[in-house]
Amino acid sequence: MNVIETNKLTKSCGTARGIIDVDLVVEEGELYGFIGPNGAGKSTTIRTLLSLIYPTSGSAKIFGKDVVEFGAEIKEDIGYLPSEVFYYDNMKVKDLLNYSASFYKKDCTKRMRELVEIMDLDTHKRIDDLSYGNKKKVGIVQGLLHEPKLIILDEPTGGLDPLMQQKFFNLLKEENSKGVTILLSSHILGEVQRLCDRVAIIKEGRIVNVEKMSDLAKSNYSRFKLESRTPIEKSLFALDGVSGLKMENNSVTFMFKGDINSIIKIVASIDLLTLWVEEPDLEDIFLHYYE
Amino acid sequence: MNIVLRELKAHRKSLIAWSVGMVFLILAGMTKYSGFANSGQSANDLFKGLPGLAAAFGIESVDLTQAIGFYSVLFLYILVMTAIHGSLLGAEIISKEEQEKTAEFLFSKPVTRTQVVTSKLFAALVNLLALNLVTLVASVIMVGAYNTGESVTPVILLLMVGLFFVQLIFLSIGIAAAGISKKPKLAAPVATGLLLAAFFLSLWLDITKKYPGLKYLTPFKYFEGRVIINHNSLDPLYVAISLGIVAVMLLAAYLRYNSRDLSV
Repeated sequence: MNVIETNKLTKSCGTARGIIDVDLVVEEGELYGFIGPNGAGKSTTIRTLLSLIYPTSGSAKIFGKDVVEFGAEIKEDIGYLPSEVFYYDNMKVKDLLNYSASFYKKDCTKRMRELVEIMDLDTHKRIDDLSYGNKKKVGIVQGLLHEPKLIILDEPTGGLDPLMQQKFFNLLKEENSKGVTILLSSHILGEVQRLCDRVAIIKEGRIVNVEKMSDLAKSNYSRFKLESRTPIEKSLFALDGVSGLKMENNSVTFMFKGDINSIIKIVASIDLLTLWVEEPDLEDIFLHYYE
Repeated sequence: MNIVLRELKAHRKSLIAWSVGMVFLILAGMTKYSGFANSGQSANDLFKGLPGLAAAFGIESVDLTQAIGFYSVLFLYILVMTAIHGSLLGAEIISKEEQEKTAEFLFSKPVTRTQVVTSKLFAALVNLLALNLVTLVASVIMVGAYNTGESVTPVILLLMVGLFFVQLIFLSIGIAAAGISKKPKLAAPVATGLLLAAFFLSLWLDITKKYPGLKYLTPFKYFEGRVIINHNSLDPLYVAISLGIVAVMLLAAYLRYNSRDLSV
């Protein structure tokens, strides 16, 4: 079954960029990544799915039901963590969580306690006294306490320290192993890579590609950056697989795809000061892979 | 129900503040009356000599030496105060979710927009009633304390019914402003702006006595203290107009809030 299915979903937001003809299919039990640079339309898509804003044209279904017509019914089984968390300032954490739980038909007390434990949250504090990271934790707990069948996360890890991120990702994997479908939007390739099976790439409001994560990783791009003691000949890098070559004084940056040995031999011939070989970030992928 | 309770809790402090303000207004106003009462007929004569001033204060055809007559002047300010309360409450209770960016939290829960507006409307009505009751009790006690003739409680009760209609009108205007506008920050200024316009129109009508037809445009003319006291009844036409305004405002708010994008 398809948990999320959009059909030519379009949203124009006045002068701001919206989304155009987005076709997205997320199957049940999938851990689905949604990546693109900031402002590409990830949040707009998600807000349309949650009928916070309405589509200009096209349609979207969640659990096979139209998101506009059956919005409230669908949300019974959705957990949502927005990118920026804002809660009622004058409330204590536990009041907010209880308020959140009061919207659902089931008893959420037990799961709430577990999640508070896992996320290491002090529920007696007032929300406006919390740091950004702790507010994010409140967001995670309120989004998961009703054991939703679909979890939608918009840039979830900002503000969380690496340890907490790890806990959170483990939590998501655990939910996923119970059959929960997860849609994770991010502009950080790394976090999508760690979690997701499939990924949709959105750029300037359009889905440009949908790939299995394993295929994307196979693209084998590496980013090289090196500095040498002596000036480097540009012709040295005239080789298949090198792209985006930039030379400045004695430093060189480029992307490389292909047999890693061939490029390493060339690099080895240089009198090196420093050398970095990195995974490309999303920016690079967009610049070199999707152009 | 959870939203109603949340809103009641959120507005508790503000309701207490408004109630204290109201009691103070009535207390201070009626304390001034004792000065008028002692001066006897001379106060009435003074204002008769200055009809423009009397009109501006809304004290024509009022016997200022009677406690209830004096109260009818004060009633205009009570109307204005509850109108401000109502319009701000209506605008704020709807727009705050968008303004404080909690709309993403609230509307990702299994609730429809209609349910949210209805819950908030209900909580707001409880607030209006509470302020109305406080006004009633304070008025009965304070006017009763100075009253020398027959009991004024029945006519004050009638005034409070009129007051409630005005509260409802301005609440619904506030709710409509917040429900319709995609800019949540505009809701309160628009609602209070309309209120001020209505108030000044009412003052202008009192002073100039021109264009009597315009009185239908300002709710402050619907339930004037001296008219209700003199006739001992509410004008059914104004009751009907009030209910009409409330119905139109709420309908517009519901329809638009249901169909528009939330400002997130």
